[in-house]
Amino acid sequence: MRRRKVCFILFSFIVLLVCSGCWDRREINDTAIVIAIAIDKEKDGLYRFSVQVPLVGQLGGPGGGGGGTGGVKSYYIDSEVGQTIREAGVRLQRRMARELFYAHQRVVIVGEELAREGISPIFDILARFPENRLTAYMVVAKGEGRALLEAQPKFERYSGEAMREIVKTFALPINIKEIAYMLTEPNTDPIIPMMRVVETKSSEKSKEVQVTGYAQFRRDKMVALFPPKASNGLNWFSTRFIPYNTVLDLGKQGKVNIAFETGNVNITPILQGDRLRFRIKVNSQASIQENTSNINFDIESNVKEVERKLNQHIKNTIESTLNQMKKHSTDNIGLGLKVFRYYPDQWKEKYKEDWRSHLKNIGFTYDIHAQVINIGQTYTNITRGRRDE
Amino acid sequence: MKRTRKQKREVEEQVQQLNDKDIYELTSLPISSSLEENKKILDQLFKDSSDIVIREFTFHDGKPAIAIFVDGLIHTQGINDVLKSIMVFKGEGTNIEVLKRAVIPSAQIAHVDNYADFLQPVLSGDTGIFIEGVGSALLLGIRGPQLRSVGEPESESVIRGPREGFIESLRTNTALIRRRLKTPRLKIKPLMLGKESNTNIALAYIEGIVDPETLKEVQQRLQKIEIDAILETGYIEELIEDSTFSPFPQVQYSERPDTVAAALLEGRIAIMVDGTPIVLIVPTTFWTMMQANEDYYERFQIATLIRWLRYFSLALSLLTPAMYVAVTTYHQAMLPTTLLLSVAAARETIPFPAVVETLIMEVSFEALREAGVRLPKTVGQAVSILGALVVGQAAVQAGIVSAPMVIVVSITGIASFTIPRYNSAITFRMLRFPLIIAASLFGIYGIMLGIILILGHMANLRSFGVPYLSPISPFSTKDIKDVAFRMPWPLMIKRPSFFSIGDEDRMGRELQRAVLEEGGQTGKYIEHDTNQREKDNE
Repeated sequence: MRRRKVCFILFSFIVLLVCSGCWDRREINDTAIVIAIAIDKEKDGLYRFSVQVPLVGQLGGPGGGGGGTGGVKSYYIDSEVGQTIREAGVRLQRRMARELFYAHQRVVIVGEELAREGISPIFDILARFPENRLTAYMVVAKGEGRALLEAQPKFERYSGEAMREIVKTFALPINIKEIAYMLTEPNTDPIIPMMRVVETKSSEKSKEVQVTGYAQFRRDKMVALFPPKASNGLNWFSTRFIPYNTVLDLGKQGKVNIAFETGNVNITPILQGDRLRFRIKVNSQASIQENTSNINFDIESNVKEVERKLNQHIKNTIESTLNQMKKHSTDNIGLGLKVFRYYPDQWKEKYKEDWRSHLKNIGFTYDIHAQVINIGQTYTNITRGRRDE
Repeated sequence: MKRTRKQKREVEEQVQQLNDKDIYELTSLPISSSLEENKKILDQLFKDSSDIVIREFTFHDGKPAIAIFVDGLIHTQGINDVLKSIMVFKGEGTNIEVLKRAVIPSAQIAHVDNYADFLQPVLSGDTGIFIEGVGSALLLGIRGPQLRSVGEPESESVIRGPREGFIESLRTNTALIRRRLKTPRLKIKPLMLGKESNTNIALAYIEGIVDPETLKEVQQRLQKIEIDAILETGYIEELIEDSTFSPFPQVQYSERPDTVAAALLEGRIAIMVDGTPIVLIVPTTFWTMMQANEDYYERFQIATLIRWLRYFSLALSLLTPAMYVAVTTYHQAMLPTTLLLSVAAARETIPFPAVVETLIMEVSFEALREAGVRLPKTVGQAVSILGALVVGQAAVQAGIVSAPMVIVVSITGIASFTIPRYNSAITFRMLRFPLIIAASLFGIYGIMLGIILILGHMANLRSFGVPYLSPISPFSTKDIKDVAFRMPWPLMIKRPSFFSIGDEDRMGRELQRAVLEEGGQTGKYIEHDTNQREKDNE
């Protein structure tokens, strides 16, 4: 009797295991790993949803030998339209032999059209659907988003991967989570790196992807593109300063190429009576990388001169960013948050409701200290003899 | 007269039934003073036994006597010497004390008066001597040469450490331990088990360090064994361990006298069995299975690092195949994208699901290993070549298994070889199969359930009263020194507290204090400057 009971319990245990397991099993062979997606808005108001899927069969399985890019594309791009993004995705699935798997998407590309119309709607599916990752980068395309997927960069197999690497290294990397965070602040506007396809000028033509600047948003709508100089200015306000290069024109003497190594910006709002102004304090360390002039940096006064020019340069850069923001009444660097933190009462009374309209009347004072910490291995061009002999 | 005849008949009946009886039942059969009667009994006992030699001889005065021994177990030259000295002895042969003291040149000599006590030593290699008119038999311990010489143990080789290993002779083995622990506190208690095998067993421990309760428990369990034969320590292990059905070994074994001696010094008990070079050590814990003797001979830093490597590879050997199955069938999101793509590319042409692929590879790997162990060494090489070709290359090129799978199997194999105790490695080899099944059903959730079950079981196990996971669970801070690390010897002052209760201190503290205070320069400082030295001398 007891043995039968034990047998029964064991049997039901096995049944329980076998029947309840495996329901969400998904072999790798049956998945289509989505590397990048692009979301566009069609003229008729429908969403166009495009995916980039690697064709793993052409990656070269056992026996070695990479697929290479010899004519055969090792990825597949397809798109479909729908009233919602999910609908488009489901429609796309109908002609896919493998299940689309979104957990590995590296970038989400937003078409310019959609960006100008407002990006808030797409954040629902990005957050609701568990496979989507909030750590994926978001990029705004110049023109149609799908075109970025179609590009074939030489260094990476997939344009999605290339875009991720470029954004990560050479732009302020801004992922979906951070954009969503900026959007939840009613008086802060996001910036998103903007990319476009360029054709290279080499003998073998290829379509590469390139960062062109930052899309300027007011609330969730794109209003303009930061010009190159203003884009550099955004860099100064970021907590993650990305080292960048600039050329200083020293007039008749020639040009000097400078790299900014570190940049540290402190913004302090000052409320005097009715007038609000910001004091912007910048500390930066730079190094001299190329010198086409005959200036000798052995002499301290020459270095001081460069530093003075650098201060001017930084001031111009920052000013152009601020002017761009003033022009379109956007606050992309969180000035409002500063006011709120320093003067919470006045913020609530006066600025909270229409902060963006106040931007135009705000003044800025600058306190900039650039320091040349490294002049390189030589003082002057080595082919020039010593001056005093 | 009547009574004696009746007695005679009884004896004859007894003689007829002798072969139906176990040796210990013969305690009731006394050794007769009549040589004729003894001979009859011996003839009956050893009929059809060609290896028993019964040598008849007479004393100088014509008194008959017989010597009986097992051919091959005795030392022939020694017996010749003894017989010679008896034959030339000119005194009276019936005085057994005189014979023992003054005549027979044998180091080990005893006399017994019943057949049970007589047969056991004789069958173990002693020589028995019956003399007409003496109601007891002499036993001469003149045993034959060793079966094989003491060599390096193959299953536990070391780079630094003694090259001696146990052999099949119990006496040699006890001698090897005694040579390391020259103290009267080392006790080696004899025991005999097995109705037919009458195997000699020795229980070794150090009095004052061992826990008397544990000792009593071990003795009681051993004495309760009733089995026909003990041919290897494995018989005893499974008979006396706490949970027979657990996959985890609760008894440690070793082939090395230094390992056993170290265990005895930790207050543990060694069970030595005649006829096998393996010595059992009880009680034991899971962590001792992760320790090799060389850990204590090499520098402590590398010993500590290697211990951690072992713990890590233990986890690898248990979890790698299961994780592969779980990740490739449920949690593809966990892998880095590029890795996922290369795994996907490798798996593209594979016809089987990941579980089936894993099981095929793991089973064929186990088969290869088993074939390699059992086969003679010359054939074993062919097996490894076949294995490398078929499993490693051909299967991948044919597209039956993927290359990552081969890597997973190799990692698992290598990891399981780093566990120093074979029986413990086997456990994890077995347990990984249920985990693979669990992973294929529920993914990582299934693996977690499996790990919880295994850990729960381990926490529940005891080896002779010692919790299997001690000193980690129950936690004991001072004993961590020999589990999470291998502390340098000066800091390992106390013996592990979960084993011993007697003498807790392993060493004094004077040296450590001196080193601490004088920076290692205790009393001797050599001046390198010779001028200075001369000046000091003046």
